[in-house]
Amino acid sequence: MTHVDALGKRCPLPIIMIAKAVGTTQRGEVLTLSSDDPATWPDLQAWGRLTGKVVKQVEATHFEITA
Amino acid sequence: MGSVTGNFTSESALHPAARAVFLDAIDRGWADPAKIHDSSRALDHLLHESKAIFSERLGVDQLMLSFLGEPNLGHFLAISGLTLAQPAPQIFFPTTSRQEVLEVMGSHPGSTALAVDLDGSYSIPVASHDDLLILPTVNGETGSISPDPSSFKGRIFVDATASPLQPLPENWSVALWDSRSWSGPAGLGILAIRDSGRWINPLPHLDHRSVPGTFNPALAIASAVALDGFVKDCATSEVRTGHFNKLIRRFVTDEIGDVDIASPESARAEFLSFSFLYVDALQLVEKMNRRGFSIDSGSACTSANLEPSHVLAAMGRLTHGNVRIRLHSDVVESEIHRLLAALKECVEELRDGK
Repeated sequence: MTHVDALGKRCPLPIIMIAKAVGTTQRGEVLTLSSDDPATWPDLQAWGRLTGKVVKQVEATHFEITA
Repeated sequence: MGSVTGNFTSESALHPAARAVFLDAIDRGWADPAKIHDSSRALDHLLHESKAIFSERLGVDQLMLSFLGEPNLGHFLAISGLTLAQPAPQIFFPTTSRQEVLEVMGSHPGSTALAVDLDGSYSIPVASHDDLLILPTVNGETGSISPDPSSFKGRIFVDATASPLQPLPENWSVALWDSRSWSGPAGLGILAIRDSGRWINPLPHLDHRSVPGTFNPALAIASAVALDGFVKDCATSEVRTGHFNKLIRRFVTDEIGDVDIASPESARAEFLSFSFLYVDALQLVEKMNRRGFSIDSGSACTSANLEPSHVLAAMGRLTHGNVRIRLHSDVVESEIHRLLAALKECVEELRDGK
């Protein structure tokens, strides 16, 4: 499973990092993201809506993305 | 008017009509209008004339109007004054309300945040006679217009600080405006209390006044002139503003792409908020500034506390790469084209990591 560590990174870097990672994975694969930026969860949801990806908040700073 | 300013922020320079009378207002506005001297009476008369303009343009009886030297105090005065006169079992407010409202709500038990949809719209709740609804007529970031609250059975505080152009709902109780929203001078708010028997001044006070009374009369006179001019300008430029709004929406969608437009098409056309994916808003604002364009942003990196705009987050809109544009009535089409060309260039540079 691909994991993206964006802890300590400010917006929009976590979203840029996850978008790049999604680009290198197969459709349907699940990726995980760690980020402590307060904008990540709202932005991840908006990014999911715009790109058709399923996103989930597992913990406060831990997220799952289905490519 | 018609000059190229490059200013697309929510602030704007004093309206030319207000600027023309401002020095004269300062010269006449120094006396205490409550006293009986000639200068005081003359000023009192001028303030009444100003109130008549506010009354006509804002759609409120002038006896209900008070001037506030600190507009942001008005949210506290309105809400606390209403709940002091009659406790509200429930206070409803949309999650996209201004920060000042959210701060007051934090100290009120029984307040209920109303969730908004992607367009910033929400359902008017079922309420009892004593409940209170906070109704921002227009959202100051996106221009979203509040739903019609005529079904609400309780009291309504109308927060009209973002725009004077949206009419008050028929069942309003207290309303607040900010002079800055009509290119008037900063440092002047207008509070309207419909029924003074259903509102109690929550601040320490010596007399019957509902506000501290420390406003600058010259600002009130200039602000009335600004409001009059602003309303006329907006009526003249309404069609053009709507055209510019559509032009910008089309361009950012078709020519730039990967954009989330937060302002619904039903929003007031002079407001426009959109966010570019994968773009750092702080760098975008700086790049645009270097090209001569002032724009606002609701992104976290541009805010003092590094928190993203609560309005965008509540709506489920993209908070990074956010740009807020205000279409002032003197903007011309060539300026819009230059703005859009600069935006495209800046967004592309940032997406390319430049």
